[in-house]
Amino acid sequence: MLPHLDRKLWRDLRHMKGQVFAVALVMACGLTMLIMARSLIFSLESTQEQYYRAHHFAEVFAYLKRAPNSVLEQVRQIPGAGTVQSGLSAQVTLDIPGLDEPASGNVRSMPDYGEPELNRLYLRKGRWLQPGGRREVLVGEAFANANQLQPGDQIAMLLHGRRQQFRIAGIVLSPEFVFESRPGAALPDNRTYGIFWMPYEELAYAFDLYGAFNFLSLTLEPGASERTLMAALDNLLRPYGGRGSYGRPDHPSHIRVSDEITVLRVLAFAFPLVFLSIGAFMTNAVLSRLLALQREQIAILKAFGFLNRQIVTHYLKFALVMVSLGTILGSVGGVVLGRRLVQIYHNFFRFPTLEFQLDRSALLWALGVSAGAATLGVFNSVRRAATLPPAEAMRPEPPANYRPALVERTGIAHLFSHTFRIAVRNIERKPVQALLTIIGLALATGILIVPTCIREGLGAVLGIKWDLNSRQDVTVGLVEPSSARAQHALGQLPGVWSVEPTRTAVARIRFGHRHRQIGIQGVIEGGLHIRIVEENQREIPLPKNGIVLSSKLADVMGARFGDELTVEFLEGRRLVRNVPLLGLHDDFAGVTAHMEIDALNRLLGEGDVITGATLSVDQARRGDFLRALKGIPSVAWVVIKESIRENFGKTTAASINVIQSIYLTCASIVAFGVVYNNARISLAERSRELATLRVIGFSQREVGAVVVTELVILALIAVPIGLAFGTVLATTLITQVSTETVRLPLVLSPANYAFAVSVVVVASTLSGLFVLRRLNQLNLVGALKAPE
Amino acid sequence: MVFMEATHIPAGTSVPRERVFCVRKLSKTYGSGSTTVHALAGVDLDLFSGELIVLLGPSGGGKTTLLNNLGGLDTPTSGELYYRDLDLTSADESELTRYRRNAVGFVFQFYNLIPSLTARENVGLITEIARDPMPPEEALEMVNLGARLDHFPAQLSGGEQQRVAIARAIAKRPQVLLCDEPTGALDVRTGIVVLEAIDRINRDLGTLTVVITHNAVMADMADRVVHFSDGRVQQVRENSFRVAPQTLKW
Ligand SMILES: Nc1ncnc2c1ncn2[C@@H]1O[C@H](COP(=O)(O)OP(=O)(O)OP(=O)(O)O)[C@@H](O)[C@H]1O
Ligand SMILES: [Mg+2]
Repeated sequence: MLPHLDRKLWRDLRHMKGQVFAVALVMACGLTMLIMARSLIFSLESTQEQYYRAHHFAEVFAYLKRAPNSVLEQVRQIPGAGTVQSGLSAQVTLDIPGLDEPASGNVRSMPDYGEPELNRLYLRKGRWLQPGGRREVLVGEAFANANQLQPGDQIAMLLHGRRQQFRIAGIVLSPEFVFESRPGAALPDNRTYGIFWMPYEELAYAFDLYGAFNFLSLTLEPGASERTLMAALDNLLRPYGGRGSYGRPDHPSHIRVSDEITVLRVLAFAFPLVFLSIGAFMTNAVLSRLLALQREQIAILKAFGFLNRQIVTHYLKFALVMVSLGTILGSVGGVVLGRRLVQIYHNFFRFPTLEFQLDRSALLWALGVSAGAATLGVFNSVRRAATLPPAEAMRPEPPANYRPALVERTGIAHLFSHTFRIAVRNIERKPVQALLTIIGLALATGILIVPTCIREGLGAVLGIKWDLNSRQDVTVGLVEPSSARAQHALGQLPGVWSVEPTRTAVARIRFGHRHRQIGIQGVIEGGLHIRIVEENQREIPLPKNGIVLSSKLADVMGARFGDELTVEFLEGRRLVRNVPLLGLHDDFAGVTAHMEIDALNRLLGEGDVITGATLSVDQARRGDFLRALKGIPSVAWVVIKESIRENFGKTTAASINVIQSIYLTCASIVAFGVVYNNARISLAERSRELATLRVIGFSQREVGAVVVTELVILALIAVPIGLAFGTVLATTLITQVSTETVRLPLVLSPANYAFAVSVVVVASTLSGLFVLRRLNQLNLVGALKAPE
Repeated sequence: MVFMEATHIPAGTSVPRERVFCVRKLSKTYGSGSTTVHALAGVDLDLFSGELIVLLGPSGGGKTTLLNNLGGLDTPTSGELYYRDLDLTSADESELTRYRRNAVGFVFQFYNLIPSLTARENVGLITEIARDPMPPEEALEMVNLGARLDHFPAQLSGGEQQRVAIARAIAKRPQVLLCDEPTGALDVRTGIVVLEAIDRINRDLGTLTVVITHNAVMADMADRVVHFSDGRVQQVRENSFRVAPQTLKW
C-alpha cells in the first residue's frame, strides 16, 4: 500500500494532469532533441569508426602525376609510415543508358590479385571483379542507385578518349567515399558523378600508366607524427608531380561527416538548454501555485510532526513525476525522430549499415539534466513553504495587495477599461509569474526563427551561387589542357549560346605560416558566366595581375587585401610565384581562388591554355546539346546546373523540411504549454474573483476577456523579445556552423518573423480557448462560500 | 443629508404592491441515492415590490439555496419560480446572465470584491455594463463611503468592504437586492452601519430586499419575517412597523 502522503501526491497529480502534461511535453521537446542529437552523433561516430577500422581506411592521402612503383619502397622507408597502398585514379566520361546528359566519374584501380591493403571496399550487391577478368567494373552505390544500375548492366566509358563498354560486376561502398561527390563540389550530384573501380592492369594500360601509380594512401605507425610524415612524403613525391598530401581532417568525404557531427553537437546543446529552461520555469510556476494553495495542509502536516525534509521531498516528487514523464516522452520522441533522420542520412552518407543506435548515456543525461533543472526551479519555493512556522502557515495567505499599475500612474488611467485594469494590476502584482510566461513565449517565438533562417540562408546561397556567381548552365572539364580550339568546338554544339574558357591549376597558397591547397580558377575578365562579388553582392572586376580569394579563405589564412601571397603550383612546371591579393570574393559554398585567365597562364609560364569551359545553352535544345556533348571525347566531366538543383531539392531541401517541422512542433508545444499553464494557474488562483464577476452579471465572454487580456498583454511583450532572441540565436548558430565547406549568409526576412509570430499566436490562441472552456465549470455558488 | 431621515412608514401603506417573485412548490435536491439532500422541499412564497424581507432559520435550513434560486445562480429541481413574467426555471444561461446583470443586486457574507480594483472601480465595473446605473460615486455616497473611493479592498475594514459590496449591488438600480448574511462576518456596530445602508436603499429606491440572517433581532427592521427550516417556509410574520436599524437591540 502506498503511504498516505504518496496517495495525496497521486490525487493532486490527477487533479493537475493538464498542467503536469504540459510541463512534461515541453521538457520532452528538449529531451527529444538531446537524445536524438546525441544518439545520432553516437551512431555516426561509432559506425564511422567501425567502418574505418574494418575496411582499413588510410590516414594520409596523396595524389601525384605519376611515379614508378619503385618509389613505393622509399615511401615505406619514411619514418612513421605504416601500411602503404598505391593505386591509380583517373577521370572518365560516361554514357549511361537512359541518362540524357553526359556523366563523369573517377575510376580507381583494384589490385589485380587479392584485396587492397587499405581502403577496402564493401560489396553491397553482385560480385567482386574476377581475377584476370576484363571489361568489368565495380560501381559506387550512390551513383548506382541514382541511375538505377544493377549488376549485369552495361555502361560506356570514355577512357582516355577511347569509348569502351563495361559490365557492372558489383555495387560497392568505400570508406573513402562515404560522401560521394565530385571533388570541390559543395553539393552532391549522384546522378552525373560516380566512382568506379577496375583492375589495375586494365586501367593502367588505358592511361599509359603501367608500372606506375598516381595515388597513394598510408597509415601511420602508432605514435608517429602526421606532420613530419607528410612533409617527408611531399618532399619525396615532389619530383613526381605530387600535389601535396593531406590527412583525414582534410579528406573530402571524412570532412562532411565531421561537419555533420559538429552541427549535431550544437543541436545537442543549444536546444535542449532552451527547452529544459522553459520546463524548469513551468515546473516552478505549477509548484508555487500548488504550495500557495496547500499552505494550510503543509501547516497541518507539520503540526502533526512531519519533518521539513519529508515535506520538501513530498513536493519535489511532484517535480520528479513531471520530469520522469517528460523523459519517457522525450526518449520515445528522440528515438522516433532519430530513426527518421537516420533515413535521411542514407541519402548523403554511404555506410555498409547505418543504424540508429540509442546513446544510453543520453538517457541518463536527459534524466539528470531535466531533474536538475526542475529541482533547481522548485527547491527554493518548496523549502520556503516547508520551513514556515505552522501557526503562520495556518493563516490564509495575506490578502492580495494591489495598487494602480505603473502605466496608470502616468495619468492616462481614464483611458483603460476595467477589464484592462484588472489584467494590468494582476500582472504587476505577480511579476515573476508574468516574467516566466513572457520568457516561455519569447523562447517559443525565438526558436522558430532559426530553421527558417537556415532555409532562407540556403536559398540565398543557391541564388547567389547559381544566379549571380555562376550563371552558366553547364560547366565542362577537359581531359587534358588544350588550346582555344577546344573552346571553339564546344561553341559549335547545338543550342550553345556562349562559351567562356576556364583554366584550373592546383596550387598551394601560402601566407605567413598558413597554407591551403586549392584549384585556382582562371576565367575571362568581364565574362557573363563566372562573376566575382564583394560583400553586399556587388560585382567587382577581376584584377589584371592579382588573385581573388573567398573572403572566408582569406580570413582563415589571415590575409588582407593587398597582401602578397605565395603560390606554389602543384602541376606543370611547379613554379613558385608571388601574387598580390586584390579581391575578396563573398561566396558561401566551399572556398575558391580566382584569377584572370591570361594572368594565370602567364604565371604558370604557359601560353593560351584552357582546361575547361562554361557554357550557356538554349533550354529548348538542351536534349540535342547533351547528346552531342556525350560524343566529344576530350570532355572529362560535365556539371549541369539544372540537375544539381533538382537533386538538391530532393535531398538537402527534404531534410531541411523534416528539421523545420521538428522545430515547428516543438515551438508550438512550448507556446501552447506555456499559455495553457499560465491560464490554468490564473484561473485557479482567481476562480473566486471570476465567479463573483459571473454572479454579479458578467457573461462568460466578458469574464473570459479578463483572463485573455492578461495573456494578450504578456504576448505583446513576449513576441518582440522573442524575435530579438531568435535573431541572436540564429546569428550565433549560423556563425557557429560557418566552416570552410559550408557557411550561410544571415538572411532574416520579414516573412520569417511573421511566420514565427503567427505560429506562436495560433498556438497561444488555441491553448487560451482550450482553457477558457473551463469557465463553464466555474462554481458560481461555491464562490460565495467562505474563502477556502 | 436627505437620506438620513428615518421615517417610519407602516408596511403595505405606500404604493400598491406589485408581485415580483412567485414561488410555488419549489424544490431543490442535491446528490442522489443515499446522499440525497432536499435543500428546498416545496416552497410557496410571494414577494412584492418595495418590501424588506428578513429570512430567518437554522443552519442548513435551505435559506442560501432559496436566495440563489431567486437570484438566478442556481436552478430548482422542480416547482415554479417566476420573476415577474420571466420563468427562472426554464431560463437559459444567457437569459440568467441578463437577469442578474439588470435586475438583481447581490450582497454576500464574504463581500466578494475584486481585489485588484479600488472601491470606485468595483462599483464602476457594474455601472459599465448596467442599463441605467447611477454614478459609482453616488452609490458609494449612499453607503457613506464617499471618502474611501480610491482605496483597494485590502485597505478597507470588513464593514467598509461590505458597504462597497452594497454600493456595487445597488449602483445599477436593481429591482431586487439579495443579501446573504451581510453582517455575518462583522461586529455589532459595523453590522448596524451595514444594515442602515440596506434599510436606506430599500426605502429610497423602493428595491425589493431580501436579507438572510441568523440574528432574530434583525427581524424587527423588516416588513415581513419569513421563518425557514427543513427546506420549507414555516411561518410568515408581518410587522406592524419597521424599527430603524440603529435602534435594534442586540
Ligand atoms: N452544492 C451542494 N451539494 C450538496 N448539498 C448541498 C449543496 N448546497 C447546499 N447543500 C445542502 O442543502 C442544505 C441547505 O443548504 P443551505 O446552504 O441552503 O442552508 P442555509 O440555510 O443557508 O444554512 P446556513 O445558515 O448555514 O448558511 C444543507 O443541508 C446543505 O448541506
Ligand atoms: Mg447560508
